Amino acid sequence: MHKTSFYEQTSKNKRYSQILIILVFCVLVVFSYVIGRVFSPGSTLLFLIFGTLFSVGYIWYTYYNSDKIALSSVSAYPAEGPQFQQLRNVVEEMAIAGGMPSPRVYVMPSPDLNAFAAGRDPEHSVVCVTEGLIKTLNRQELQAVIAHELTHIRNYDIRFVTLVAAMVGLVSIVSQMFLRSLWWGSLTGGRQSRSRGGGNLAFLVLGVLLAVLAPFIVKLVQLAISRRREYMADAGGVELTRYPQGLVSALRKIKSGYSGGPKTRGNAAVAPLFIEDPIKNRLMSLFNTHPPIDERIKILESM
Amino acid sequence: MFWILIVLVLMAFLVVMFLYNRLITLRARVENAWSQIDVQLKRRYNLIPNLVDTVKGYMEHERQTLESVTQARAALANAEGVKETAEANNMLTSALKSLFAVSENYPDLKANQNFLNLQEQLTTTENKIAYARQFYNDSVMTYNIACQKIPTNFVAALFNFKEKEYFEVVGESERSVPKVDFSGGNSQTAKDNA
Repeated sequence: MHKTSFYEQTSKNKRYSQILIILVFCVLVVFSYVIGRVFSPGSTLLFLIFGTLFSVGYIWYTYYNSDKIALSSVSAYPAEGPQFQQLRNVVEEMAIAGGMPSPRVYVMPSPDLNAFAAGRDPEHSVVCVTEGLIKTLNRQELQAVIAHELTHIRNYDIRFVTLVAAMVGLVSIVSQMFLRSLWWGSLTGGRQSRSRGGGNLAFLVLGVLLAVLAPFIVKLVQLAISRRREYMADAGGVELTRYPQGLVSALRKIKSGYSGGPKTRGNAAVAPLFIEDPIKNRLMSLFNTHPPIDERIKILESM
Repeated sequence: MFWILIVLVLMAFLVVMFLYNRLITLRARVENAWSQIDVQLKRRYNLIPNLVDTVKGYMEHERQTLESVTQARAALANAEGVKETAEANNMLTSALKSLFAVSENYPDLKANQNFLNLQEQLTTTENKIAYARQFYNDSVMTYNIACQKIPTNFVAALFNFKEKEYFEVVGESERSVPKVDFSGGNSQTAKDNA
């Protein structure tokens, strides 16, 4: 029965990814339209075309290379050699438990305790752990962390999260472009728009409002989704190991590892892909990419 | 009127095709999962003579334990069918567990790098067998449920899809998959086992 709901979850993920793409396309279309109205009706079409081409290209590029991008952002190196034999074994074991191909294994040169998975689908996936993690966790705890990461891969979470991140970035870029062009436009011959009357003013206000709020709202939604995914990955990981205690004890060690603050600078862009937030002390809990560790431990212990 | 009949027949055909394809996929998954178990069993089979040789010199007085490992290995090689293989596999796992438990009393052996490598290799192979078994059973469950559920059961009966056996021993006390760590405890970190 678990297995059935797990496959349902995966297809739900795929469906949500598609819906999300369509949704953001709509946002971009609306945005382009509003921009077009502000400057001139003729340029609406131009903005639409450019917007579509740009967004498709950008999203495709990020999605296709999500593994390379994530790895290079943390200076990861391949986990080769006898000192990483156990790590490689653990990854293979979990891949067998999940009935999936074994991802490539990498190591991050960081004393912090963390791990992430990346890649557009299970055949092109990578899993990366910190040197600190290998040193501190025992075999069962390591297995639990790897199981959590492999669940992200199985769930097509990586695809989903990467797409969401790319789109959020895109909305921000478009807003920035719009606001800047307004600024320059008002300096050099804004008379064109003014002559069209009050109708354009309404769109102008709307446009500015969208440009300021949209990135913010989209970011909050993205973070809420990211937190939900982490809970699901915890559950899925336990489904692989059938041993929740392993993850509980791993999370405890990770938590105490971060108690003094992260020792290496975390990259905000790839933060959602990690097992625990590499950037501590965010402004508000709304901005957390991961649910609080204590919450996660509580849920695991109830399994 | 005639057209309605055609449409109905077409729809029925599509439904049957869909259900049939689903059964095929699930059955293939089960068979693939079984072959994965097989791969790991063979791997362990090949590792054991090496282990016995390494250990023999150090554990002179543990001939009984070594014997039971060798015998269990041979029994597993001769096992046929899912149930027999499951039984034989369990015997070999316990024999190996005893062997590694006893090795705790031989510090010289524990310092031997060859032995440590074998220990990790056998640990990972045991785990892989356990997880392959887990995945196999999960696949069997999904497949069997599909064979029983309406309306898939009609298609299953029509095309002779048989239910598969679980990889388990009757009356097994450990309901969960046995976790193996021959290195003697949870306290050792990955670095120690390098």
